[in-house]
Amino acid sequence: MPLPIFGKSHKSPADVVKNLKEALVQIEKGDKKSDKAIEEVNKWLQTVKGIIYGQEGQEPNSEQVAQLAQETYNANVLPMLIKNLAKLEFESKKDVAQIFNNLLRRQIGTRSPTVEYLCARPEILITLVKGYEMPEIAVTCGSMLRECIRHDHLAKVLLHHESFYHFFTYVEVSSFDIASDAFSTFKDLITKHKTICAEFLDTNYDKFFGEYQKLLNSENYVTRRQSLKLLGELLLDRHNFNVMTRYISNPDNLKLMMNLLREKSKSIQFEAFHVFKVFVANPNKPRPIADILLRNRERLVDFLSNFHNDRTEDEQFNDEKAYLIKQIQEMRA
Amino acid sequence: MGDPADTWPSGKEHYQIEGSIGVGATATVYKAFCVPRNEKCAIKCINLEKCQTSVDELSHEIQAMSQCAHPNVVNYYASFVVGEELWVIMRLLSCGSMLDILKRKIKAMGKEQAMYGVVDEVSIATILREVLKGLEYFHSTGQIHRDIKAGNILIADDGTVQIADFGVSGWLAASGGDLSRQRVRHTFVGTPCWMAPEVMEQVQGYDYKADIWSLGILAIELATGTAPYHKYPPMKVLMLTLQNDPPNLETNTEKKDQYKAYGKSFRNLIKDCLQKDPTKRPTASELLKYSFFKKAKDKKYLAHALIENLAAFPVANTSSSSKKVASGKLKKNPQGEWEFEYDSSDSDEEEEGKSQETVKQEPIGDGAEGPTLNLVLRVRNQQRELNDIKFDYTPQCDTVDGIAHELVTAELIDCHDLVIVAANLRKLIELAEKKSDKRGVTFALNSGVAPNEIPDERTLTGFAQISLID
Repeated sequence: MPLPIFGKSHKSPADVVKNLKEALVQIEKGDKKSDKAIEEVNKWLQTVKGIIYGQEGQEPNSEQVAQLAQETYNANVLPMLIKNLAKLEFESKKDVAQIFNNLLRRQIGTRSPTVEYLCARPEILITLVKGYEMPEIAVTCGSMLRECIRHDHLAKVLLHHESFYHFFTYVEVSSFDIASDAFSTFKDLITKHKTICAEFLDTNYDKFFGEYQKLLNSENYVTRRQSLKLLGELLLDRHNFNVMTRYISNPDNLKLMMNLLREKSKSIQFEAFHVFKVFVANPNKPRPIADILLRNRERLVDFLSNFHNDRTEDEQFNDEKAYLIKQIQEMRA
Repeated sequence: MGDPADTWPSGKEHYQIEGSIGVGATATVYKAFCVPRNEKCAIKCINLEKCQTSVDELSHEIQAMSQCAHPNVVNYYASFVVGEELWVIMRLLSCGSMLDILKRKIKAMGKEQAMYGVVDEVSIATILREVLKGLEYFHSTGQIHRDIKAGNILIADDGTVQIADFGVSGWLAASGGDLSRQRVRHTFVGTPCWMAPEVMEQVQGYDYKADIWSLGILAIELATGTAPYHKYPPMKVLMLTLQNDPPNLETNTEKKDQYKAYGKSFRNLIKDCLQKDPTKRPTASELLKYSFFKKAKDKKYLAHALIENLAAFPVANTSSSSKKVASGKLKKNPQGEWEFEYDSSDSDEEEEGKSQETVKQEPIGDGAEGPTLNLVLRVRNQQRELNDIKFDYTPQCDTVDGIAHELVTAELIDCHDLVIVAANLRKLIELAEKKSDKRGVTFALNSGVAPNEIPDERTLTGFAQISLID
């Protein structure tokens, strides 16, 4: 009879973690024994999963899970797993993410012990961000990062670390799976916890939007489209009222949107419309903004009258468009 | 995967496209050659402007694919953006899908013979064992495929069997990949003939057991050449599946004892997969222990038994290896009237004959007209089946209104759609005259959808598509 996947191991959680750690130490040494150790890690990760998820259809034993978590913190196994992630087998990498994410979600009453553990060791989070530089672990690190970002303390650490600005490079790498994964992590970081995000964007306005401008002008169609869509979401979020006010007071931003309205891609035009409308709908338009709109009044009205006329079903859009046309027509010098 | 020798370049310039092997509503699959690696591959080019799926959803699918490493799951190599398209580089499985092979086999053995079974038990056991290994892996990583059918089982010339088309495969678990078993899906996707009853009902949601039902249907398909109820329109298939006892080998029979060559262990497998109560269906791992799989052989056997003697029957060059499309042609008869003829999918000789006919269409005019354009309108008929209607257009000789009118009188399109079809046909012709790169237009129909349908551009539900063909 074939052995079941999780073995008939009677090892205690403490033994399992100890064995896992020993194998990881071997891997770090990198000598000829490390090949064997990689297999060992694979095996022990399976056992850990067996404890966390329960074996062969059985419910997990909560006492064992608690012990396992405690041993994991004590032995500092998580940072070792992440540091050596690239050396592990393909399936082991996914196991690490699964275990990490599960531990992160674990709660005792209102406490999240793994979150507390990571708060005290922010360097682990930074290692995960750097993971985007290694194609073979990028997506795995991304899934762990997004799990971290669900917790406001960890999101704050990541937002305020200089490595946050690396994301502007990661979202533009040529490999779509990595770039799009980095983009969802980036988006989570700047949208998930409204108050923290608004405060961050407000304090770091110049640096952030200086970088963001490059995404909107990217050569990559997907980067352009995705970043424009996200910009619309950011500006229309009431928490970001200050940021929005600043953004729509800058004539350069208006010019950029007017250019994007005329992009070849219909999807990009449409996203640009949803940012452009905020400029027009602003009851206190600064002089330079009003000047641009006035100067282009006739052309804008013409343009908008023919803009996406096939979108007959989208009542909201048509109402907004009609409103913008009226607003622009009625502007006085 | 970490091995740099295993990485595929991200950039259009590294690939030479050799020809299309499949065309869908928003994506085309090409056979291609990767220059720096000196290796063949398949490229799926997805038009992101046309594609209704959001970039986020696509990214999710690609992630799912890139996180799969199993010999029976199609190998994903790389993906990158080219203009407004997403290119997904995958392994090329040169024998195409099992659906293609079924068609070729029926042709090779003759319809009479095929009535008694298309693929032999040993080959079926070998194929299904590979599919089950892929499914076992899939389910262990928390995914459901949701569209298991012969059209999505690909075969390489060495006999390798892989599950393809993650088009509709979704993550069972939440973003973290948590494998809690309670999570179920609530979306209506897949092809009705292969769809499990609980997926159709959409009441309680469904889990990975839906794939086991589809595998049972696949087993019948391999033996008989078609899925049970394949003759009926989708709504009827739903009714039959929900109301009748589960189908079996005999559901399709015309004569008694037609499938007597198939033994008890095979029938037993089908019966267990096709249980209406999903909890009663075995898991992929349990199925692999079934006695039927004692008959299974290795891939060399498949290469020999399944593929070798098909050499004389080339892969049908249909644009729809994974989509069920009834195709036909709109053509003028000697009296100058338009006629629509179906290409019956099981008589390809006829189709070849016909395509020659249309090439030589006498131009009627003063000779000043531009080159004739070959076009195809893909639209659902009243039975909601996809039809490909081929026709040609010669400037100064044909009029757009005339063609649209013929389409209506031949009852190929609804009269509400007369203007919209004409408008889009004109649009495409103008694009072609301007030598635009755009080879097709997809547009919403005024006739809308049936009461129980949801408009969907991808499946052309409530939409139609006109494309130029070479």
